[in-house]
Amino acid sequence: MTVGAPVATAVGTVSVRGLKKRYGSTIALAGIDLDLVPGEIIGIAGPNGAGKSTFVRIIAGEEPADEGTITMGGKPWSPLANWNSVAVVHQEPQLFPNLTVAENMLAGREGTSARRPRLGESDRALMDALQIGHLADVPLANCSLATQQRTEIARALARDARIFLFDEPNSALTHEESNKLFLEMRKIADAGRIVILVTHRLSDFVENCRRVAVVRDGTVRSILEGAALTEDGVAQQLVTGSVKEETAGDRHLTGEGDEIFRVRNWSHATEFNNVEFALAKGEIVALMGVEGSGARELLRSFAGLERCTGDAVLDGKTGDFFLRVATAYVPATRQLSLYSNFSVGENLVARLGRPEIAGPLLELRKQRMKEIAESAVSRFLVKTRNLVQGIRALSGGNQQKVAIAQALVCEPHLILLEEPTRGVDVQSKREIYRLLHDFARAGNAAVIFCTEVLEVFEAADRVVVISDGRLSRSLRIRDYDQVEKLATDVSQLERHARQPAAA
Amino acid sequence: MTSAETRPPVPVDASRTTLASAGQATFDMALRMGGLFAAIIVVAAVIFILKPSSFNVDVAISVLRAMSSVAIMSLGLTLVIVVGEIDLSFGAMYGLGANVLAVLWLVAGFSVYSSLVLAIVAGAVLGLFNGVLVTRLKIPSFIVTLGSYNLLYGVSLWITHTSTFNPAYPPPGAVVPDAQLNFFTGLTASFGQHPISSEVLWMIGLAIAVGLLLHRSLFGFRLMAIGGNPIAANLARLPVARYKVIAFMLCGVLAAIAGILDFSFIQTVQPNSGLSFTFPVFAAVIIGGASLSGGKGTIIGTVGGALLLAELQQGLALLSPGPHVQQLFLGFVTIGAVALDLAVTKLRARRAA
Repeated sequence: MTVGAPVATAVGTVSVRGLKKRYGSTIALAGIDLDLVPGEIIGIAGPNGAGKSTFVRIIAGEEPADEGTITMGGKPWSPLANWNSVAVVHQEPQLFPNLTVAENMLAGREGTSARRPRLGESDRALMDALQIGHLADVPLANCSLATQQRTEIARALARDARIFLFDEPNSALTHEESNKLFLEMRKIADAGRIVILVTHRLSDFVENCRRVAVVRDGTVRSILEGAALTEDGVAQQLVTGSVKEETAGDRHLTGEGDEIFRVRNWSHATEFNNVEFALAKGEIVALMGVEGSGARELLRSFAGLERCTGDAVLDGKTGDFFLRVATAYVPATRQLSLYSNFSVGENLVARLGRPEIAGPLLELRKQRMKEIAESAVSRFLVKTRNLVQGIRALSGGNQQKVAIAQALVCEPHLILLEEPTRGVDVQSKREIYRLLHDFARAGNAAVIFCTEVLEVFEAADRVVVISDGRLSRSLRIRDYDQVEKLATDVSQLERHARQPAAA
Repeated sequence: MTSAETRPPVPVDASRTTLASAGQATFDMALRMGGLFAAIIVVAAVIFILKPSSFNVDVAISVLRAMSSVAIMSLGLTLVIVVGEIDLSFGAMYGLGANVLAVLWLVAGFSVYSSLVLAIVAGAVLGLFNGVLVTRLKIPSFIVTLGSYNLLYGVSLWITHTSTFNPAYPPPGAVVPDAQLNFFTGLTASFGQHPISSEVLWMIGLAIAVGLLLHRSLFGFRLMAIGGNPIAANLARLPVARYKVIAFMLCGVLAAIAGILDFSFIQTVQPNSGLSFTFPVFAAVIIGGASLSGGKGTIIGTVGGALLLAELQQGLALLSPGPHVQQLFLGFVTIGAVALDLAVTKLRARRAA
């Protein structure tokens, strides 16, 4: 038996009609219509918060939809009841690292026999076809990520899953591993199964998918196929028709002011080498790059959170220590910066110390804490009933504002943020951009790591694309009056930066 | 308030934006403490109804005395639990503190004063040992302190040659000056019309000191932050490792102090003194509302937990229904307190949703 053998049960086309889902007051899916055809790889693209991951979760049977129908071959079909026929291959395989590859194959399919389960003939054939047969007795934790993913695929094939969902599957794979993975994906599709690919890498869509659905604001905005399916095409679809903010005269700086920050020969053990990067006072610079490009690590290194060699100068001063006290870093998820056991007020002052909120004997200055928190609430537009309310009572957008305010009240000279508006409503998004803007224009600077061109367009003065640890030339946002054009240029920069690596 | 006038229009109701106003967290805490102290009163009332004759001031005082060392140790354990770690070694430290004092004073010929200081230093050294292994080598604190529990007990057996000490009857060859003996017994001397040991005052004083440290100082604030979200604390560059080490050291010091005070009161110490305190002290802290996952706990709750336990113990001893009932109650109360906590939290979450 090979992976390409026909599936036991024929798979009909899965038709999704009017799929809706809301979380509280947030509409995640506003009515998705999509046909998933056996034998093809369909790509799903969409900016963060567009409903892409909600859709994936519903198809994977991880949660129910509120409204809408799903049919398979014309008959009603529910992913919740048929979770067994859907396989999700994650970026981080969700398996049992303490068991061997073979044991991972068997876990969950032990049957009712009391004996220790053993691999059957078909299991072995499957593993050989996926080239993991020789690794059967190796603990999964000792296997490469690619092998772990293959194990996940083998598990799904063994239980005859019909729909395969690949969620950012190659973001941590090498070029070669990733090519091999796509080869397997094509084999799975050729065998008459449905294969869905979700990724941020536009080139993967173009090279592997027959159709790409672009999801925006909870609906399928467009489906690209044939000649229309190009990287630029997808990039434009991702941003086109976005509500554009009125740009004030000074909204985008030229980046020619006094320099506030510069790194030279900045090198990381694994992610990047000899990076040169400079920031002007008042500037907001966006770094873009897919997972594994080194963009995140570069950002974190500016906060002294990654060990790097080279020179870093901030405000004319150097040294790792200075970098650590004069910068503030806001991680991508709120869970990494907020304290769930603290009130809103306590969260706002949690990064402060002596002398801001404590006296010489370390005694807390409760009055000062209250004043700082109150002024932060009004300055940063945090919508809260009071300061003693638990932080989890706030909406996601307001929690995010608290997370950023927590860093800003330390009065850093340089703030470093990862995806500052991920999972945040439009109104809060706008307010967060304004906050950053005000902060930077007051003689400071900000670097943000972004995954969305739209965010770059609305928040930044300049954008630099990073691929394999190399920085592109920077694009000035003020040179663009349309986000579509910026999206095209960014995707081109990314392609160019990738070329030398492939050669 | 001048700042209110210069402030731009705000989307909050400013009159309600105050740390002092009764918010959810404060209300929860008040409820928790109210429940705990209601339980303390109910237990007292039940004992009174069942056996009015035994209900008097002297019994109440003996409850306070009996809870003192447990309460002092639970103060230290609260700090460690709040920062998100576990300490199993304090019971053995209690014994080692008293034994170090006894051996240095009664065998090695040190004065009681320097012996006392060195015994407390031993507590700090233990805490340093625990803390450094946990923060530098990243060994889980459960394992580190399980190990140091046994190490300490071993050291106690070793330095005492498995013998029991009583300063009033020193080992042959040792000379104990009267002044030093008086000083030592004076540490926990009783006073007043209804004699009350000053060990109770030590407990109250230490509880106030640790309470101020946890609830009114930057140290305590950050301890709560670290326990609530260690990764965030690390990214925000709070001194996570240092604060954890200090929490362990304070726990060790407080355990040594508890051991020394009980030694002074009881007048004897054995190598295995204190080992049996491990679980009651944990129970007191948990009943007091601290969360083993860190970031949550109060000193008033911990002291209340210790009081409830001592009261149950004393009350059940008076009613003498048999030794098994005390153990059964200890078990029920510990699990019940946490179950009640979780039930209330769940109820609130459901109502909020």
